[in-house]
Amino acid sequence: MVNKGETLGIVGESGCGKSVTALSVLRLIPEPGRIVSGHIWFKDRDVASYSREELREYRGNDVSMIFQDPMTSLNPVLRVGFQIKEAMVAHERFDNKTADERVVPMLQKVRISDPKERAKNYPHQFSGGMRQRAMIAMGLSNEPDLLIADEPTTALDVTVQAQIIELLRDLNRDMGTAVVLITHNLAVVASLCTRVIVMYAGRIVESGPTRQIFNSPQHPYTWSLLQSIPRIDSTQHDKLLTIAGLPPDLSNPPPGCLFHPRCRFRVDRCSKEEPPLEEVGPEQAARCWVLMKNALAGAEPVR
Amino acid sequence: MATAPSTFEPGPDSFVATDTYEVGERMSAWEDTWRRLRRNKLALVGMAIIVILVITAIVSSFWTPYDVWRQSLGPTYQGPTGKHPFGLDDSGRDILSRLMGGAQVSMVVGVGTATLSSIIGIMLGLLAGFYRGWVDTLVSLLINVFYGLPDLLIVLLIVAVTQQRGLGNIILAISLTAWLGMARLVRGQTLSLREREFVEAARSVGTRDRWILVRHIFPNALGPIIVQATFVIPAAILFEAFLSYLGFGVKPPTPSWGAMASDGFRSLQYAPHIILIPAAALCITLMAFNFMGDGLRDALDPRMRR
Amino acid sequence: MTRGTLIYIGQRLLLITLTALIVSSVVFIGVHQLPGNAFLTERRTNAAAQAALLHHYGLDLPWPVQYVNWLTGVLHGDLGESLVNRGVRITPLVLREAATSATLGFWAMVFTVTLGMSLGIVAAVKQNTLLDYVASFCAVIGYSMPSFVTATFLVLLTVTGFYAWTGGTIYENIGWGKPEQIPVPAISLGLLPSAIIFRLTRASMLEVIRQDYVRTAWAKGLRSRIVVIRHALRNALIPVVTILGPITTSVITGSIVIEYIFGIPGLGKEFINSIANRDYNIVIGVFTFYAILVGLANLLVDLVYPMIDPRIRY
Repeated sequence: MVNKGETLGIVGESGCGKSVTALSVLRLIPEPGRIVSGHIWFKDRDVASYSREELREYRGNDVSMIFQDPMTSLNPVLRVGFQIKEAMVAHERFDNKTADERVVPMLQKVRISDPKERAKNYPHQFSGGMRQRAMIAMGLSNEPDLLIADEPTTALDVTVQAQIIELLRDLNRDMGTAVVLITHNLAVVASLCTRVIVMYAGRIVESGPTRQIFNSPQHPYTWSLLQSIPRIDSTQHDKLLTIAGLPPDLSNPPPGCLFHPRCRFRVDRCSKEEPPLEEVGPEQAARCWVLMKNALAGAEPVR
Repeated sequence: MATAPSTFEPGPDSFVATDTYEVGERMSAWEDTWRRLRRNKLALVGMAIIVILVITAIVSSFWTPYDVWRQSLGPTYQGPTGKHPFGLDDSGRDILSRLMGGAQVSMVVGVGTATLSSIIGIMLGLLAGFYRGWVDTLVSLLINVFYGLPDLLIVLLIVAVTQQRGLGNIILAISLTAWLGMARLVRGQTLSLREREFVEAARSVGTRDRWILVRHIFPNALGPIIVQATFVIPAAILFEAFLSYLGFGVKPPTPSWGAMASDGFRSLQYAPHIILIPAAALCITLMAFNFMGDGLRDALDPRMRR
Repeated sequence: MTRGTLIYIGQRLLLITLTALIVSSVVFIGVHQLPGNAFLTERRTNAAAQAALLHHYGLDLPWPVQYVNWLTGVLHGDLGESLVNRGVRITPLVLREAATSATLGFWAMVFTVTLGMSLGIVAAVKQNTLLDYVASFCAVIGYSMPSFVTATFLVLLTVTGFYAWTGGTIYENIGWGKPEQIPVPAISLGLLPSAIIFRLTRASMLEVIRQDYVRTAWAKGLRSRIVVIRHALRNALIPVVTILGPITTSVITGSIVIEYIFGIPGLGKEFINSIANRDYNIVIGVFTFYAILVGLANLLVDLVYPMIDPRIRY
């Protein structure tokens, strides 16, 4: 789904399966979780079929990941520079010396000032934003094909958030690493990603180019999400719409479309059959029987 | 500073009943604890053993199969027989009878020490934590100085120097070191509890200090106190066994497991039952109390589980 | 070693000295306040000889004077003379015995830490396997096994058992002085604390394995050996190191009984003998040395702490 050098955003409410999706890409799902069905294809090979050693080589080398909470994601007892170097040495892509020499430029690249001294620091001497930069440096140190950023800005201050997003955009442009950004923040997606996937209850409900999704969302869930953020250019004084209710309990999912209990545009069919993910426009797909273009036109569903 | 391995170290805002004012709420907190404790199989086993021990101790004060002091009941060093299920010791005394008598000594020392040291520790801890000032300075100094000393040494010295080898003196000597842990715990709890809203509320309406200590602070610190006291019992039993093993315990012929084990060590090679039986009794007792202590700790503070 | 660390060590040494001084003074005064003359009354000597003895030890002086004399001696490193064996200076005697006790304690600690930690790590990594269950069960038992019970079993096993099974070719010699005589008392002393360390290491390791930074380490593609040892273990050791201080104290406490059982000429045996002989000068000296020994051991543990956790600085 992710092309070389692309930036893809995965959006959805908390607990809808974004992080689990990301972790499964690296096969890092904590026990007792497991991948029951589906495949993860990387360069025409299924990651699920990797041997232990192949998996180890793939992690951090082909695909690397940065996590939600930079405060707890770095090892408190090891120097930051060492933790970055370690990622490089593990894959024998760089020998010990080259890896050592690459640490400082990597820190420089993620805009940490005084990188030479900072490399010798321990994580507790770093601020939250700096730790996340260090995590990014670690993730990019092996020049992976894909960087998965799981809510990289959630735990940070708003100003720092903007800096981190900007950094990710620049690195994507300069290094050509594809980025998958997982977030519940639509503004972040709009500013960084070329393509968006919207997830609900562990399923993709809509996907397409960012601009198109923002301008004409087809799934009611996407539409509601966009209605729930305030817009400064809004001409009418509309109320912000909220989505009533909570995501379903996935151990006991509702029949039919998983969103229908909360959907304001539902029709009878929605509670009986689950809709497939279907093409609804150029490069855009949605999983809905109704589709917003029909719902807003007041028309009956096409099928 | 770190604590002794078995001490109850509460988390930052560990066990505190959610609401002190509503009697109903507090009842349910205790019921909740009891429910969790009942689910813990090891703790139940521990409690069952303790009940048996207590019964044995009580029974032994008016009946034992043979007199605990009567020698030459049969051949010395005789192994287990039908008449003497645990055999006879080096002077031909019935080991079962002496084991029962020893249980009494252990229980009295354990419970006595836990009671005495808790009274001292709770009072001084409450005063030190609540009033700060010189009481606190003194208690903290004592804790810090004694912390760096092996307590067995102090107990040995007191027992040896006073030349009194009665149960009361032994309990007193062990309590003199055991109260420190309790005082430390209560002081810490009091220090944090006195800043809590309900204490401030009580103070703002002019409640007397004594009333605040007794009705507000003490009940809220009760959970950790009970756990700590439970762990004092096996520690005291162990100390008594050490003392009598070294020959500084209760005067013979009063039976004590430590002294019985010490007697048996000499004949270890040809009559191992003399040492193994009291040693096993001691281990099982300690285990029972440790199980119960662990269970209580987990039940009172579910966050400290594992 | 930074300046701060040196200052910290200096402060701690001062504190140890102070504690030792306070403790020995309390013991001195306590002993001397006892009703009657606790020292030499039981000796069968005539009145003149008794008076001469008392004079020799300065016991005819009022106790504050005795205390000042004693304190002056202590400050010069002289703990006085044995009351029982006249002419025996206590300082060299106690120094020699302290070395013996420290050797025993050292090996007991090595055993405790190695066994407790390694089993704790393995049990945590292989959680819920047979190995984990067996180790945890043994720890539950070991946790409640006093050192003299362990000693009994070990002696039964090594002395009686080996002798019988090998027809007398292998046997354990109880005593002290040869290297092969160290393991049995050291293991007797170290088994209970190793159960405590095992439980703590296992719990702490299980906690750490779930931490975000361990997930990061996996995500980096590190080898599992490196993830476990470099990332999980070092963090898991932090709470274990905190408990080493009290463990050291309990090992030293236990050594009193173990030295008595095995006849090891250390501080503990001397303490028991002196108490029995009412040789209070030695009792005070040994007590002082115990205070110093425990203080130094705890200082050593505290110096290891910042090596493992960089967030701690002195």
